[in-house]
Amino acid sequence: MRQSTSNPDQAVRTQMKSLQRNGGLPLAIALAAPIGAGIALVFQAYCLAQVLGRTIEGGEPIEAVMPLIAVAAGLWMLRGAIAALGDYAGTIGAERIKRRFRTRLFARLLDRPASLASKPATGAVTGSLVDQVDALTAYFANYLPAMIAATILPLAFAIAVMPTDWVVGLLFLFTAPLIPVFMALAGWGAQAATNRQADAFLRLSGHFADRLRGLLTLKLFGRADHATNEVYAASEELRQRTNRVLAIAFLSSAILEFFAALGVAGVALYVGLTYLGFIGVNPGMTLSAGLFALLMAPEVYAPLRQLATHYHDRAAAKSALMEIDKQLGAAPEETTRRALSTATPTRQPGAVDVRDLTIRNETGSAILDQLELSLRPGEHLAVMGESGIGKSTLLRAISGLLPTAGHIELDGCPVRDLPDNERARRIVVIGQRPSLFKASIADNIRFARPAARREDILEAAWKAGIMEFAKELPEGLDAMVGEGGAGMSGGQAQRIGLARLFLTDPDLVLLDEPTAHLDAGTEMRCLDEILAFCAERTLILTTHNAEIAKRIGRTERLAAGRLFAAVGSVNQRKPHKGAA
Amino acid sequence: MKTLRLLLPLLRPHWRGFLLSLALTILTLAAGAALLGVSGWFLTATALTGLGLSFNLFAPSAAVRGLSFTRIVSRYFEKLVGHNATLRLLSDLRRWLFSSLFPKLPFGAKALPSGDLLGRLTGDVDAVDTLLLSAIGPAIGAIVISTTTTIVLAMILPAAAPIYAGAIVGAIVLVPTLLFAATRKFGRTAVAAASTMRVQTLEALEGAEDITWFGQQGPVLGRFIETCSQSAAARGFLGSHVALATFAVHALAGIALFATLLCGLEALAQENVSGPILAGALLAILASFEASNALVRATAKLGTGVAAAQRLQALVSLAPNGTEPRNPREPETSPSLVFDNVSFGYGGNLVLDHADLAVAPGERVAISGPSGCGKSTLLSLVLRLNDPLGGTVSVGGEPTTWIATETLYKSVCLLSQQSPVFLDTVRNNLRIAAPEAGDEELWQALDAARLGTTIRALPQGLDTLLGEDATSLSAGQARRLCLARVLLSQASIVLLDEPTAGLDRATELELFHQLPQILEGRSVIMVTHASIPETAGYRRLVLRDAQLSEVS
Repeated sequence: MRQSTSNPDQAVRTQMKSLQRNGGLPLAIALAAPIGAGIALVFQAYCLAQVLGRTIEGGEPIEAVMPLIAVAAGLWMLRGAIAALGDYAGTIGAERIKRRFRTRLFARLLDRPASLASKPATGAVTGSLVDQVDALTAYFANYLPAMIAATILPLAFAIAVMPTDWVVGLLFLFTAPLIPVFMALAGWGAQAATNRQADAFLRLSGHFADRLRGLLTLKLFGRADHATNEVYAASEELRQRTNRVLAIAFLSSAILEFFAALGVAGVALYVGLTYLGFIGVNPGMTLSAGLFALLMAPEVYAPLRQLATHYHDRAAAKSALMEIDKQLGAAPEETTRRALSTATPTRQPGAVDVRDLTIRNETGSAILDQLELSLRPGEHLAVMGESGIGKSTLLRAISGLLPTAGHIELDGCPVRDLPDNERARRIVVIGQRPSLFKASIADNIRFARPAARREDILEAAWKAGIMEFAKELPEGLDAMVGEGGAGMSGGQAQRIGLARLFLTDPDLVLLDEPTAHLDAGTEMRCLDEILAFCAERTLILTTHNAEIAKRIGRTERLAAGRLFAAVGSVNQRKPHKGAA
Repeated sequence: MKTLRLLLPLLRPHWRGFLLSLALTILTLAAGAALLGVSGWFLTATALTGLGLSFNLFAPSAAVRGLSFTRIVSRYFEKLVGHNATLRLLSDLRRWLFSSLFPKLPFGAKALPSGDLLGRLTGDVDAVDTLLLSAIGPAIGAIVISTTTTIVLAMILPAAAPIYAGAIVGAIVLVPTLLFAATRKFGRTAVAAASTMRVQTLEALEGAEDITWFGQQGPVLGRFIETCSQSAAARGFLGSHVALATFAVHALAGIALFATLLCGLEALAQENVSGPILAGALLAILASFEASNALVRATAKLGTGVAAAQRLQALVSLAPNGTEPRNPREPETSPSLVFDNVSFGYGGNLVLDHADLAVAPGERVAISGPSGCGKSTLLSLVLRLNDPLGGTVSVGGEPTTWIATETLYKSVCLLSQQSPVFLDTVRNNLRIAAPEAGDEELWQALDAARLGTTIRALPQGLDTLLGEDATSLSAGQARRLCLARVLLSQASIVLLDEPTAGLDRATELELFHQLPQILEGRSVIMVTHASIPETAGYRRLVLRDAQLSEVS
């Protein structure tokens, strides 16, 4: 979790502001549109009131007011067009913000340092990147424009009515100071509703998703009915709780409406009583003036009601940002843009020097304990040892991906100081279960070198034994691999990993049980290719197979966090001990 | 609409709530239209009366007050009643989904829903509720209000009625229909882009190391940005259509308003209508379009709602997995397990090739082999999570296909690799296996699984809430909790799939040695890719090249 600022709310607000800046022109248009539509509304209402007043009260013929009708109709359409444009611009602006935000989050995801912890909470992270970011749309496209409109329009309308009748204008102006009170009223209710209910809702949807994931387990334990009833009960409890909260939340908007209705009624009463002569402030008030005031009255309160309906969008966006921060906020401990190495490479590169390497698991016990290892350029090493003893961890550490204590150097330069691109060029690691992507087999191989030609890919596929199964497939190398490697067996995935190796040109090759899933024949053929490829390169390979270790030559056994020269190994050595 | 028919049985028990909500919607809309109408009429009438002392001020002003109060109150209860009915429906929907999914489990190897799909189900349920509440209610409300307004208009301004009727039909039928038809495609694109985004994020998370090792951050990010742009473009198009539709409704309202105005002024000149009535009618028409605006917003979400409903339907209408025997037989109580000439594989790739295995009652068998060789699949055959391509699996002397699944599940218990820790207390997590178990038994199981000390150290002990945002267990501890759960079950055959995953080697070895004692009297098949010491007391087998063989 991020070392949060003393006030997380403040941090979220700052983040919202900075996101808003990405909205650019479209968002600016969206924010200005309600104001434009508001101005058009004033004139349109004025024209309409004039038409009615002059015809009904003044008895003028239609022809006389025709131009006014045309202007009013034009303004009506203009108002609609401005509102629609604002609507559209808001969507575009919000989408622009979301696209940039997602890109940034994804980049941060790729920059995250590796850790021993095996699996990140993938569901929560994807949820953040896709669903939570989507929750920002309503804030930028609906809430912000409504907020601006609610701040400016009521006052502007009050001033617009002033020349027609100052009492009505004052009435609007008098209610203007109440606007923040209205807003707070709407806000508190909505906020309380969102907060309290969001909590319960999160727990329920968590519960629901959780039970869905464990559906099979529940079934096998004969708990299907119980789980079903439990979900129903939890859902019903949420309903009752939500009802209680909503009753309060809706009450606050009902109060808002009540005040709005009071305002409209006040205007109507004032105008009516003036006409009847009971109020003598503005005795000569025409029907046009009265209608204009009446038409404007609901519009003064409309922006506030609009804001109240969008108020929860802000709370939703805030909680979405906090969730995103929780899942993806942990900034990399160090910048991945590392300084260029200053060490001059030796003539034949690939010397590996590991001193005092210690890695602890989450409970603090050492997996690798002051491990020492050194390889000459071009030397090959097989690492053996029991499952789970730390062979894979050793390879990951040498590749420079794990935070470790101790020194790991490639040609005299600490691997953690190598710039990303140089490290990727000089060290290639093929893990036990290479990651496969939802793409064709060829594209999955090409992943190692996007610029590779088709012939290169074909050659790599032959060497890695992929053609043995690919030629059976109707689409050959263009057959699709499913999401997360679905449809590929462990052995097939491993061969795709090997083919990737053959597309690269590294100094150091690290292979984690590269042939574990292959049958004996394929295994030896692949090993031949690996050894041919590594003729001039340094190679470290982990294996359980003594025969493979024998062919590699130098063999060491990993036990108790250290390497020991294996009996019968070409390169007999005593266990490394102490500082070098 | 076929989708809606599927949901209809769920709606039926709640018809009172929805009907009440609908009535309140109509009342709110009607009060709004009447309020503006009466106000306009009232003002105009007072203005024309002038110092008319004869004018009855009280009836209309009471009407104005009454109508505005009615509108506020009915809107308040409309929201409350509507939400209550929807939430009730949601509870039913969840229950229905759950109870219809269980018989279909497992979904089979290929159609196994990823976490993503299951996650989406929660969203789908919510989207369906939007479909019902925000689309259907306003639609019916708008139809009722517009019909009433048309009838009233036909009485006072016959010339304007057809124009108004045309405009309002356009606004509540034509525009939403066109919008739905036009946006369906973009809606689908947006949903597809979101799904690609999920896949790419998952791949980036799971392939993080490979991406770094090969220095491919740039291209991977590039592809993600492309998807983001696709999503933004689709949603932009969607937005432009919604904006257009909003404008169309506004324009139609304008046509209705100005046509009525012109007709009205004509009638006024000929004294066919009074000024106050005309002013009132115009304002009422404005208010009657309020409902159609809500309809446009709801239509924009309709595509997602329908798609969600279709996905739920597809899932629910899956055929149940496996067949229950018509005349189930009772297996013997002695927990023997026999694989006779069993073959199984996916897509022509055999993971078991005419394999034989006999486990005597109380015997403990450990099967090792490289990961991905089919060890887990072998276990799945016992519980009929998969049925073999050839051969028979027998439990207690009876082929599993002859045993009722309920009986089978009682005799065989599985610790699978995906065994979940549920978002619940430690106690409830354990009681899934034994609902009646007392605390004493729970502690025994926890101690046996080497987790008792950890749980005792927690301030709330067995009542500690587990799960995402509560106190979380480490991967190894979660694994042991699942193991404790299995130990609590009364099944006489226990299947353990990698029971020591996530444990360090020392604890792993300790557990291997203790399991036989903990599971005394039960038959055990354990599969693991870890090496098992000879002394631990297991009959050791290896699965390689689709064949089972003894380790000498």
